[in-house]
Amino acid sequence: MHRTWVVIRREFLAKVRNKWFLIATLLGPALMGLAMFLPAYLLTKSTGVRNVTVVDASSDQVGRRIAEALDGAPLITAHYLQTTLAAAGDLADSLAAEVGLKSINGFLLVTDQTVTDGQVEYRGSNVSSQMDMASLQRYVEEAVLTERLERVGVDPRLVADARLRVDLRTINIRGGKTTEQSGQAAFFLAYVMWFVLYIALVVYGQLVAGAVVEEKSSRIIEVLASSLRPFQLLAGKVIGVGAVGLFQLVIWAVMAKILIDQQAFFLDLFGIQIPGGRAFGLPGVPLAMVGVLLLYFVLGFFLYATMFAAVGAMSSSEADVRQAQQPVLMLIVIPALLAFGALNDPDGPIALTLTLVPFSSPIAMPIRWSVSAVPLGELAASVGLLLVTTLGVTWVAARIYRVGILMYGKRPGLRELARWVGTR
Amino acid sequence: MPDPVVVLEAVTKRYAGHTAVRGLSLAVAPGSVCGLLGPNGAGKTTTMRMIMNIIAPDEGVVRLFGERWDSRNLSARIGYLPEERGLYKKMKVLEVLVFLAETKGIARRTAKQRAAEWLERMGLADWSLKKVDDLSKGMQQKVQFIATVLHDPTLLILDEPFSGLDPVNSQIMKDTVLELARQGATVLFSTHIMEQAEKLCDSVCIIAHGETVVDGPLAEVKRRHGGHHVIVAVERGSQAVDQVWADRSLVAKAHNYGQYAEVELADGADPQRLLTTILEAGARISRFEVTEATLNQVFIDLVGPDAARPAARGEA
Repeated sequence: MHRTWVVIRREFLAKVRNKWFLIATLLGPALMGLAMFLPAYLLTKSTGVRNVTVVDASSDQVGRRIAEALDGAPLITAHYLQTTLAAAGDLADSLAAEVGLKSINGFLLVTDQTVTDGQVEYRGSNVSSQMDMASLQRYVEEAVLTERLERVGVDPRLVADARLRVDLRTINIRGGKTTEQSGQAAFFLAYVMWFVLYIALVVYGQLVAGAVVEEKSSRIIEVLASSLRPFQLLAGKVIGVGAVGLFQLVIWAVMAKILIDQQAFFLDLFGIQIPGGRAFGLPGVPLAMVGVLLLYFVLGFFLYATMFAAVGAMSSSEADVRQAQQPVLMLIVIPALLAFGALNDPDGPIALTLTLVPFSSPIAMPIRWSVSAVPLGELAASVGLLLVTTLGVTWVAARIYRVGILMYGKRPGLRELARWVGTR
Repeated sequence: MPDPVVVLEAVTKRYAGHTAVRGLSLAVAPGSVCGLLGPNGAGKTTTMRMIMNIIAPDEGVVRLFGERWDSRNLSARIGYLPEERGLYKKMKVLEVLVFLAETKGIARRTAKQRAAEWLERMGLADWSLKKVDDLSKGMQQKVQFIATVLHDPTLLILDEPFSGLDPVNSQIMKDTVLELARQGATVLFSTHIMEQAEKLCDSVCIIAHGETVVDGPLAEVKRRHGGHHVIVAVERGSQAVDQVWADRSLVAKAHNYGQYAEVELADGADPQRLLTTILEAGARISRFEVTEATLNQVFIDLVGPDAARPAARGEA
């Protein structure tokens, strides 16, 4: 046991002292911060006040109402310009020149058809901005709607009341209990977990394969094999790299918490104004969720890491590993993509299957758990199947590892591998 | 003879399509220096790996210190220098040594202290905090050797320990091995360079194609298989000696090197009679020396024809 510990410690320190570990560990939160604050930052920068001219060629000055509505909207100033249908063409040309000079952002052409057929034209330099167009659409629509209702004799106050907007709040129900969690937060949490598990398995799994083949290609493996049992070596590698992974995830989790808790400070720092002062709420993560996540991370990591170790053991060089690990990567990638799709129907047959099959459950189960109440029986079955498979795969991988670490040259075929597993 | 430290009994190892080691038996006495000799592909490395329990024999038994391998606990008493040298290139010299000693069960603190002492002894003290990658190949070999002996093993298994070393470092290494042997360590090393074996070994085991050709104490092997050798130099123009070399009652084998001839006497032949026969043939002798066979000659005589035939696969 002590010797396994020695291998674990060496592996851990070698990986943690590596400059790439430092870069990745710092870069992770930096990217995280960027993802959080950049949209808000860009929003602040781009939503300057829009200058819009309303050209009214209608016979009953319906444009005036639209201009007033727009002028009352946040971040828009509207000027009203009355004209006739005949002169509208020339006016449009000179206003286009104004847009070119950037003195206005664009102009709206209002005619009699605006109220009767709902036809209105906007020409401007900001038509590609979905946000601008959406708010323009909304205010024009409101003004036209009010105009239409008043024309058929509806009381303007009644119209104002009728215009009250409906706000749909989504709240997650788990196990018959209403939670504090909004639907959005649940989805966000599932997404983050999917991402973390997927990346962790792929990245740290490949690190294990690399660590194994490194000892082969540097030929130190024979010295190690003479003083340690292959299983001690294998366990040392897998646990060592796994500890590095867990360490990095913990660092990221702590940094994420700081980033979210102190976001007011960071927002201030970059001069970003956000209504409500929060770009981002930390969804409430129940303790059971953390437990499930860790359990599946550990089991899933062992399942895949031992396979990656076997891949490393049967290869002779880094290049060899990259080829040989493709099937194992596919075993992660395909279920991971399916698991993400299963979010749409978290209690359906697809989700159930994915959470039971051992090669997809490490990713699928935590995701499903985060959005719905998984019956304990299903959880037990899933963990049991995963545990048995992990033990079986570890046994096979250890046998391949034991023979493979001293084999150089051509990578073995499946038949050869089967022979390795069978050797005494 | 006290109980041997290393015992191999009829050990066989087969690989797909060829047999690397066939029914090999070997016994190494405690405190002795034993050379495992053989041409390339003879099965030396396979034998050593089986002794180290890195690979398991298909047949036969390996016993170390009178015990069968059932755990790696014996490894704390053994220093193994594999043919394939290797260290963690990115680690510092001292750290690698401490790590390797720890895998043998040596406490960290003790390992550090001993590593420093050995680095000093091998003239590498200034390099202890450098990365392994920064060292020359010769220095890396010395570090690897330190890793082999750091845990104070009583049995050294060294696979081609002197290959790739310059004469100076090769000598330092030989002296160190002999010093450890004097202090009581048992040494088994492999080589295909007979001069090295002749200088270091108490006993030898010559193998070819996975089988023992001869083994025993060095002097006995040379006496048994070397025969009587005479070096004869005659003055130019003495063609007459050629008849003498052809006389099978006197001469078993003669290698004429031009400047001198090396003659192996036939069984029971007397060197004195050879001398008179040459003189009677009318040749003028400038040198006549009765010698012992070199290990090199014994080796070539015994495995020469085999060594020329390439093995089915490279040395496994």
